[in-house]
This record gives sequence, C-alpha cells and structure tokens, in this order.
Amino acid sequence: MGVVLRNLQHVVPLRRARLRKNVEIVRHILGIQKFDMSIICVDNPKMQRINNIYRKKNMATDVLSFPFYEDLRPGKLPCAVHRDEYNLGDIFLGVEYVMQQCKETSCDFHGTLTVVLAHGICHLLGYRHETEEEWDEMFQRENYILSEFNKLTGSHLEPLTKRCTRQVT
Amino acid sequence: MLQTFDVFPACPRMFPVQSSKLKPRGYRVLPHVFAAHRYRSRRWSRGVVVVVVVVRPVPAAAMLKSFARAMNVAARVSNRATAARAPRAAEPLARSASCGPFTRSVWMLCHSGSHGGRPRLIPSKSLLPSASCGCGGLHTDGDKAFTEFLSDEIKEEKKIQKSKTLPKMSGGWELQLNGAEAKLIRSVSGEKVTVTFNINNSIPPNMEEEEAEQGQKAEDSEPEIVSTPNFVIEVVKQGTKNSLVFDCHFPEDEIGHSEGEEESDIFAIREVSFQPDGEADWHETSYTLNTDSLDWALYDHLMDFLADRGIDNAFADELMELSTALEHQEYIKFLEDLSSFIKCH
Repeated sequence: MGVVLRNLQHVVPLRRARLRKNVEIVRHILGIQKFDMSIICVDNPKMQRINNIYRKKNMATDVLSFPFYEDLRPGKLPCAVHRDEYNLGDIFLGVEYVMQQCKETSCDFHGTLTVVLAHGICHLLGYRHETEEEWDEMFQRENYILSEFNKLTGSHLEPLTKRCTRQVT
Repeated sequence: MLQTFDVFPACPRMFPVQSSKLKPRGYRVLPHVFAAHRYRSRRWSRGVVVVVVVVRPVPAAAMLKSFARAMNVAARVSNRATAARAPRAAEPLARSASCGPFTRSVWMLCHSGSHGGRPRLIPSKSLLPSASCGCGGLHTDGDKAFTEFLSDEIKEEKKIQKSKTLPKMSGGWELQLNGAEAKLIRSVSGEKVTVTFNINNSIPPNMEEEEAEQGQKAEDSEPEIVSTPNFVIEVVKQGTKNSLVFDCHFPEDEIGHSEGEEESDIFAIREVSFQPDGEADWHETSYTLNTDSLDWALYDHLMDFLADRGIDNAFADELMELSTALEHQEYIKFLEDLSSFIKCH
C-alpha cells in the first residue's frame, strides 16, 4: 500500500521526497492511506501525447487522472475486497507544464504541485467538474483538503478549481 | 493561471499504465520501453558465437593424435574439395593449397616434406585453399573475404558515427577512460563523486526483436543502438574512511513497447553500501542495502541525495549518450583491430 512515484522526465529537477511527503499528507487528510496510487511525472511532449490519445486534445496540460474505479460516487471510498482492488488509479503530472505556469505566476513549484495533485486525487475519488454542480462539489472538497494541508504545514495553498474557469471542457 | 482541464473518462483497462502494473521499485522489470524505439541492430550482426583461435606449440604426442585426426578429415575434405573447388588462378607463393583450415601444427607437418627429406603426407595438389605472403600467418580465401567485409562495415559505421569526439557531460565532470571502462569524476565542496561504468554488454539484447517489430520500414532509418550501462556512484567525503557507493542501472520494462507504456524511472538505484575508500574491489562483507524491499520514502531521499550531487535524470540521459558514443567508438576500433589482425602485419 502506498504511492508509486515515477519520474520519467529530465526537464524539471524534482524533489521526490518532498513530493511524496506532500502526497502522504493529502492521503492522510482524505483517509485513503490504505489505497495504492501512482504518480507519474512527465514532460510536455509526453503529456501532450497522452492528452491527445485519451482526450483528443493535442496540447500539454498539468494533470491527467485515470481512476481505477470508473463510476465512483464523489466522496465515497471504493469497497475493495481483494488486495488488488485497493487501488485508486494513476495520476500523470505534467511537471514541465506546472513549472512553466509557476514561472509565469511566480508561484512556488512544489506548493503548486500539491494543489494539482489534490485536484488529481479528487478525480480518482470520483469528483468531476463537467457541470456547475460537480464543479462546486469538487471545489468544496479541494478547499477542505488544502485548508487542512495549510493547517498542518503552514502553507497557503488554494484549490485549483478556484483558479480554473467554470467552462466545461 | 493554470489551465482548465477535466478528468479523462476512466478507462483503466484501456490505459496501459495502472498502479497495479506499476511495480514497486525493486521488482526486476525487463526491457525498458524508454529505449525501445532507439535500438537498432548493427549492420554487422553482433552474434554471441565466440571463436578463439590459439596458435601454440603442440606436444609431440598430442600432435600425432591431432595429426591422425586431421589426416582423416583432410582426406574427406580433399576428396570432396577436388571436385567442388576450382583451382585458384594464382597462388601468392609456391606453397600450394594444401593446408587450409588446419591449425599451425598441422600446417608444419604438411610442409615438412618440402623442407626436409620426409615424404609429403598430403599431396601438394590436394585442394586446401590457402595463401601466404610469407608472414608466417595463415591466409585463406575466407580471410580475404572477411577483410573486405570488415572494410565495408568500418566505412558504414564511420558514416553513421555522429562525432569522432565524445560528447561532454555538463556539470564539470572529468572523463577518464581505460579501455571499455569510463570514469566521471567531480569534486564539489570537499566531496568527490565518481561515476564508473563499463560499455561491455551495455546494449540491451532485444535489438532483433525490435527490428522484427519495425519490419521493413527500418530499412532506410535504422533505429539507434543505445548503450545503457550499469553504473556505480561513489561519494567520498573528506575525513571519512568509507565511501558511500550506489549501484545503479537503467531499468528495462518487461511489458510491451508501444506508445505510452514506459513506466520505470530513467535510472534506478539497485544497491547501496559503504565501501573502504580507494579500494577497487567490492567488499562483500559490507552491509548492502538492496532497494527491492526498501521503504519508498528512504529511496526518494537517496535519489534526492544523488540529485544534489548532479546525478539526476538529465545526468542519466547524458551518461547514456556518452556511453553510446564510447561504445560505438570502441566498436569501430575493434573492427579495425580485427581487420588488421586478419590481414598481414
């Protein structure tokens, strides 16, 4: 049980220990420590390829989630029986993309990575933002996660959904 | 502003990389997709058949035995060869084609007739192809063809050689070469970091498979061979007797090679141990931390430790490039040496 972390890119120097620590805090806040998940850090070309293959959007992006449970009700943890089922899925982190955004907005890279990861994990847990109701629900959850994270770490992170437009993509 | 995005509809079965498939570090994963499309087979197949020809004096008894055996073989060969082979138009020397595929000991016996009073054991007109330039070495038609072949191969390999000089590692690494072994050395703030690798057996063995997969389209654009050697990192701190040693490698994934299936880190630590500083041999008595069953957080700290010393994914990529160039350089040199060895000195 844990987080499998893979760094497949060489563009952005990554502090693996810090990234893992932040993910573990988020997992603790959500009470999902017993579930596996993987985080794969990739560069822009790779992210663009995946985005194009699976979403038909030929552009790089910051995060893509691939939930193990397809029809999870938001906020409900999966009812896993077998060991293999204790798996939430995979998150592809576009670390190069995030780094570029951080440079443009003068944001802390690892803080932003945590925000993006919290968003990705919410997707693994069934949250979506295709309608306004879904968007609100996801925002509330992200807001909760990050406010707890801020309390524990003294950070000042804000949900990604707050910064996103409400436009359904 | 971060871009608006949404989640991709869940399709764990469609998507090749799943947590369940992403093995915890330490699972020995095989062929790495990363390099999958970079491999190409050499124009000259680098098979694994090793032939060692040893030319040395043979004790008399052994020589007689081998001679008797050789005679039987020679008789069979010459009977067949007489009919099969056309006589050569010109022989470089008077020694006629009587001692082709035999070792030097047999060759001497064959020739004893012409030098001394002993009768020839094999008639001079038997067709064992040979040619000699008087250098004392054996030259056959096969050798000649081999030399020509090598000459073409060397030309081709030189044509595709990217540069005659080795690529430079960024970060102020000093390169030391000793045959197939290379060392990269860097000193930073009282610490000396040495990265050692050997180019022998550093090319993954799945080139043929790759070639088959790519089929004929690879005819014009051959996939590149990439050397991915294991490498050892030694970190020496001032005033300490032991160096911290990391045994690293470029992992290879065992599952498919199609797009998007790569799943391993670019490089991975296999073992960590303390070793007495300055000693070349690995002390098996030193406790060795195997990363197979290591706590992931500890592993991440070890990777960060290396990254702080300039050994990260970017370094690993450059190391791969350097090793590939060095391997190719040594390969061409080997072909040249081979050609010289086969030709007259």
